[in-house]
Amino acid sequence: MNMLRMNSVTKIYSGKKVLENLSLKIVKGERIVILGPSGCGKTTVLRLAAGFIEANGGSVFINEKLVSKNNRILIPPEQRNLGMVFQDLALWPHLSVYGNIAFGLKAKGVGKQEREERIQKTLILVGMDAFAKRKPAELSGGQQQRVALARALVMEPGLLLMDEPLSSLDLELNIRLRKEILRLQEKLGFTLLYVTHAREEAFGIASRIIILNKGQVAFDGTVEEAEKYLKR
Amino acid sequence: MQKRTILSLVVFLLFMIGLLPVLAMLIKSLSVDGHFSVEAYAGVLTSQRQWALMGNSLSLSVWVMFLTTVIGVPLGLLFGKTDFPLRRFFIFLFVIPLLIPPYITAVSWFDLLGREGFAAQFLGSSFAALSSRFLFGLPGCVAILFSVFLPIPILLTMVFLRTINPRLEEAGRLVSGWRGVLWEITIPLILPGIILSAILTFLLSFGEFSVPNFLRYSVFPVESFTQFSAFYNFKAATAAAVPLVLMALVILLSEAVFMRGEITQLRSSTETKNIPLIPLGAARNGLFGLVALLGFFIVIVPILVLLIQSANGQVYSEALRRAGDSLLRSLLYAVIGATFLTVLGFFTGYLIQTKTFRFWRAIDFTTIFLFALPGTVIGIGLIGLWNTVQTNFIYGTLWIIILGYLARYTALTSRITVTQLAQIPPAMEEAARVAGAGWFRRIIFIVIPMARRGLLAGWIVGYIFSLRDTAITMLVYPAGHDTLPVRIFTLMANGSAELIAALCVILILATLLPAGILWMMANPLLRKINR
Repeated sequence: MNMLRMNSVTKIYSGKKVLENLSLKIVKGERIVILGPSGCGKTTVLRLAAGFIEANGGSVFINEKLVSKNNRILIPPEQRNLGMVFQDLALWPHLSVYGNIAFGLKAKGVGKQEREERIQKTLILVGMDAFAKRKPAELSGGQQQRVALARALVMEPGLLLMDEPLSSLDLELNIRLRKEILRLQEKLGFTLLYVTHAREEAFGIASRIIILNKGQVAFDGTVEEAEKYLKR
Repeated sequence: MQKRTILSLVVFLLFMIGLLPVLAMLIKSLSVDGHFSVEAYAGVLTSQRQWALMGNSLSLSVWVMFLTTVIGVPLGLLFGKTDFPLRRFFIFLFVIPLLIPPYITAVSWFDLLGREGFAAQFLGSSFAALSSRFLFGLPGCVAILFSVFLPIPILLTMVFLRTINPRLEEAGRLVSGWRGVLWEITIPLILPGIILSAILTFLLSFGEFSVPNFLRYSVFPVESFTQFSAFYNFKAATAAAVPLVLMALVILLSEAVFMRGEITQLRSSTETKNIPLIPLGAARNGLFGLVALLGFFIVIVPILVLLIQSANGQVYSEALRRAGDSLLRSLLYAVIGATFLTVLGFFTGYLIQTKTFRFWRAIDFTTIFLFALPGTVIGIGLIGLWNTVQTNFIYGTLWIIILGYLARYTALTSRITVTQLAQIPPAMEEAARVAGAGWFRRIIFIVIPMARRGLLAGWIVGYIFSLRDTAITMLVYPAGHDTLPVRIFTLMANGSAELIAALCVILILATLLPAGILWMMANPLLRKINR
């Protein structure tokens, strides 16, 4: 079953085509990495999937349900059952770790007891249960990363979008968190759509790689095929 | 070395122009015949009248603060966060009352609702008696100052909305509708801006002199002005001004202490183009109607009343005959004031932004404190300091007025500079430094060209606020140096309603036209150069 499907999607910003007739499919449980240089349209794909922007042409399906088509958003972001980890993490500075994770559950009307249980479980999952009362500014970069991940995972999303989430970390922490993401994906079984410009990061995470160039899919295949493609 | 010398001079000027007059005023009020005495203050504390004035001043400012916040913040959200139609037009519309002297709005409402106003002609004398009672007192003052200060929460809400990283709201949108995101994320993040605007409207209403004076509502600034100008009782005037100084000081200090951490959590967002807007959907037309109605009543109606009242060519020629010289002086002083404000504001903003001195926060605080002080306090301070034989070359000339403008309005131009400089990466100046350019060269060839839009905006703001100033100018202007706002104020005692309305219209045009034309001409040019 396709978790995300884009059909002939075009996106234009200030007269410039960022995506042009782009089509892609992501099957449930896959770990897809979109790889490409800056400005190739990687983040735009994520923002279209999330429903923050609408395409100028083409259609987007999530879980085989049409969510946007030709300049119109049919299903808003909060009804798409997605999680997202942003490049700058976007942790709410005025809320504690607990508050950041609880926000979505409260918005969805999850009862207090269930909420507490899910938050506690997720905090343990990412190893942040000792930091629930801290504000994001009181955490290290790696800890903030885990909170952002916990905030997305607590909603039990079908599809997790990650926009270069490790780009600001040093290599050692980058590798450690990559392993962590893989562990969580295997354990929870969510579909992952991960965007990066770093090859090594892409190869370390992906089960399939899509290479974007100038707003179009230049390559779509396995990690081994991608390595060969990039060595050409 | 160059840098520290120039910026030290700026600090010295700020001290001499702004802080010293206020300090000198306070010190003078504590001495009788060369001896320390609290006589003037004892009078203030024991007088029933002073406590009544305090009650009136507090009622006025609390009501204005409450109403402007409750209506201004939602309007700011509407203009800054939604797909509301004609947003730029409405922002401009609502800002107009802030750009003109507040008493002009009062004159207009008096022409409409006074005993002999338009309301009396159309709705009868009993309605006019009722409306006049409403106007002359707390409700009238609150209504007029509400319309004057409403732009403050609107603009500050919009400015703070632009500092929010759009990703913070998008992260919320993944799990919640806009209502939840607004309440739980957006509003808490702009709370420092909302508190700042509430503080500013409170302090500006607390220190407002011209409207309560015109509408005969006794508050501290009116008392202070009357003690000084009618009885020339410097000590009583100062004693009446002290609660204003203390109020400004206490509130701004509390804000600085309690909100500092909150404010620094916000960062200027570079992604202003991608700010997510809330679609209003079916509510769009209804909200448009409500906002248009509010704008019509608080901005269009007062201007229309003045235009109708003065709809006679002869009145305008009479107005120019009687106050043409004041108009020209107003324009000249506003141009001089704006130019000096731009220069002083630029260097003050620069030293705040680059944290040149360890006490940069104190400098920032001082400028804001002086802006929040009532004009009457600054005016009395300037007179107390400069009214000596040795300093008559300043006190007896236009420069005393310019000093007043600089003392009160430097905060505006320095804040604009800080905002503009924050957009320029420090590497720009550093690159020039590495290339061997001295500080002056860097300022002239790198920083100023990159900050020119801010400088132009600062000049226009300086021009508008210099032109609209009434309280300081009224107290300090030497003979033969009265400006148009002062001339109108004095003519109100014996001039006809038509003449006053015509002068008000001329003042509005003198404020808005040059500033608007300059902005429209220079802005595209600057954009072209920046490209």
